Amino acid sequence: MSFLSLDNVQKAYAGVPALRRVALTIEAGEIHALMGENGAGKSTLIKILAGVVAPDAADIRIDGRPVTIGSPKEAHRLGFRFIHQEFNVVPALSVAENIFMGRRYPKHGGVLVNWRALNTTARGALEKLGITHIDPRQRMARLSPGDQMLVRLSSAFLSEPDAPARLYVMDEPTAALTRNESERLFRVLREIRAAGGSVLYVSHRLDEVMALCDRATVMRDGATVDTGRMADITHDDLVALMIGRKVEEAYPAPSTPSTSGMALDVRGLAAGRLQPTSFSLRQSEILGIAGLSGSGQRELVRALFGDLPLRGGTIALDGRPYRPFSPADAWKAGIAYVPRERRSEGLMLTRPIFENITLAQLGRQSLGGGFLTPKAEQRFAATLGADVRLRSTGPRQLAAELSGGNQQKVVFAKALSGNPKLLLLDEPTRGVDVGAKFDIYTIIRDMTQKGMAVILVSSDLPELIGMCDRIAVMRDGAITEIVAAQGLREDDLLNRCYGRARLVA
Amino acid sequence: MSIGTLLRRYGTLIGFALILGFFWFNLPDTFMTARNWLNITQQLSMLMVVAAGMTIVMVMGDFDLSVGSAASLSGIVAGVLFAAGYPIWATVGISLLGGLLGGAINGVLVSFIGILPFVATLAMLTILSGAAFVLSGGKTISGASIPADFSNFARGGIPLGEIGGVAVMLPNLTIVALVVVFAVWVLLEQTTFGRRLYAIGGNIEAAYLSGVAVRRLKLIAFALTGLSAAGAGLMYASRVASANPTQGSGLMLNAIAAVFLGMTMSEQGVPRILATVIGVLILGVLDNGLTQMSVDSYVRQILVGAIILLAVAASSFSKRLRR
Repeated sequence: MSFLSLDNVQKAYAGVPALRRVALTIEAGEIHALMGENGAGKSTLIKILAGVVAPDAADIRIDGRPVTIGSPKEAHRLGFRFIHQEFNVVPALSVAENIFMGRRYPKHGGVLVNWRALNTTARGALEKLGITHIDPRQRMARLSPGDQMLVRLSSAFLSEPDAPARLYVMDEPTAALTRNESERLFRVLREIRAAGGSVLYVSHRLDEVMALCDRATVMRDGATVDTGRMADITHDDLVALMIGRKVEEAYPAPSTPSTSGMALDVRGLAAGRLQPTSFSLRQSEILGIAGLSGSGQRELVRALFGDLPLRGGTIALDGRPYRPFSPADAWKAGIAYVPRERRSEGLMLTRPIFENITLAQLGRQSLGGGFLTPKAEQRFAATLGADVRLRSTGPRQLAAELSGGNQQKVVFAKALSGNPKLLLLDEPTRGVDVGAKFDIYTIIRDMTQKGMAVILVSSDLPELIGMCDRIAVMRDGAITEIVAAQGLREDDLLNRCYGRARLVA
Repeated sequence: MSIGTLLRRYGTLIGFALILGFFWFNLPDTFMTARNWLNITQQLSMLMVVAAGMTIVMVMGDFDLSVGSAASLSGIVAGVLFAAGYPIWATVGISLLGGLLGGAINGVLVSFIGILPFVATLAMLTILSGAAFVLSGGKTISGASIPADFSNFARGGIPLGEIGGVAVMLPNLTIVALVVVFAVWVLLEQTTFGRRLYAIGGNIEAAYLSGVAVRRLKLIAFALTGLSAAGAGLMYASRVASANPTQGSGLMLNAIAAVFLGMTMSEQGVPRILATVIGVLILGVLDNGLTQMSVDSYVRQILVGAIILLAVAASSFSKRLRR
């Protein structure tokens, strides 16, 4: 008998089916992958398991006994633990308080908080993940995004005798983690499996899934299409199942640029934690930025975009001096930016697609100058939407209603709206499904064909090697070297990020 | 469209219609008359102007608590200037400029210094109110110092003809309110300025990264709200032919309430100027009808507050049901 079985799960939002027929079984002592493109219904299914969303119909059984999950509390009592994709932390509270979020604090005599016990228990949860460098008493706000994710992860591993954990549901847990941290998480998940616990693992990183999981269930268009043992499935099979067709190449072929002038020349640029940095970029070139998380990638991009005051150095854009004081200056100079956090930095979720796309171009004569011309705007947005292969019901659809990949395409359409000379990309394919990823790579290639230069910050090493001409490696706020991407091996690049290139070479 | 969607979308309008029906039924002779409605629009005109200004900042997700005392102060400034013998045009101009300036100070505090609107405009409320008392010496300015032409403006209007042998006119104050509503409608719904304010309200970080000059726009928006408050203060002073340092104090809460009532009519909970107009009308009609039915003014307050809560609760409840 399976530990958990779901059958005939259905859910519709305002008549639109999100889940049509879902069946899933998870055994005790198994790491089970849940795969599928964005919009396939994985998030809805997880929300049903978490008691956040009520299904229209569902047959859910634990150890063969039917259960209903009416609230997050009930899910917790059943032994379910969740790490959600959009992780929420309270920056003003301590690490330990964040780990105990939603749980009962240990008390002295049932009244006053026992801070010592709280911190000790939290430290235990951190140590389970092998984390010793985070003090549970520290403010959450002082932690790097990677460390914050580790704290969120460890909260799932808090030991609770009165509701022991039986199933860990992990939605993109490694998105903000370094390779080392991910490895540590995998080790813990394997320990859980060995002890008879179960894991439902959601990730777009196929290699990770293939190495970690025992079985996989693939979802498409709100239905589970297949379940199989990992050992019997190839990488290509999985991708084909997810998108419903075969994909030959992961990255589109390099373009053959017609121009090759100097696009960007940076001399001694310093800002925030960014140490004086020099590099240059030709038109049509894609320069990758690699490095461990928090090595200064974000500062470099933000400084170029006018969001971080410069401490020194000069920038020349297309041969002309450029010194931005705000993102508005950057847009005017012909620089566009796709920020890392598309929901909090890239999109107005409650506004229509067309308002998102045209925002940076408002005031253009073709869009009516100071007065709004919604018809012209919608045409403009529809054209750009088609350029980026956006799938929507039309330019008036709300951004919030789109899947992650299509939301990212809206952000791209906005970035491309002014025909930029330089495009800054910060993790442009994070949380984006395979099909949309390929679309985005194709868009980038098409634009470089026309002369646009690109700076691509990414923690996805195959993406850097597959897309870039050259890759700059950053460490401790400075570029340590710039290497040609062609023929570069992943482990070589990773070692360079760690600063161990010479040991290998 | 399902019944749920209809209720969510038009619940507040249906409620408004029920209120109208209730008063029509209970006050068959006096409520649904041209005369009464022209009277209502005149009574409402000051609130309408302030609520229109409030909508501008609330579109960005901010609000301005100082509008009431800004209105009082602008009335007092006008009274003091009249007493000193300034002509009407100069007095009106200086008072309006003062409102613009006060609003701009709010804008600087909120956007450039980064104080929360609640704190910044609360402090400004106190300062402006204190200034009104200092300038007036705590007394009402009235009588001969207020020029007759100034107070006659509020009593005048465009004649619309006779109904039942009584002359009716479209009051000047109503015309001012209509002009302000139209101007704010153009600004918010037809210009890139308005779109950018909605963008700031939608996601301030994304707007900033898209090149929207967030700080400058916030400053301008708060300045315009201050201007509308000063305008309302002058309308009040003209209507009662006097200025008193607490004249505008009821405006702020009612203006915010009107915008909130309007927001219940929007699927996304976004302030829209025409929805604010409905919100103002609901408040005005309630006040007018309950007064005519001789409901005690304290009881009236309780009823009005309860109706606002009901509308906002129903709207947020129906939005939650949809999930």
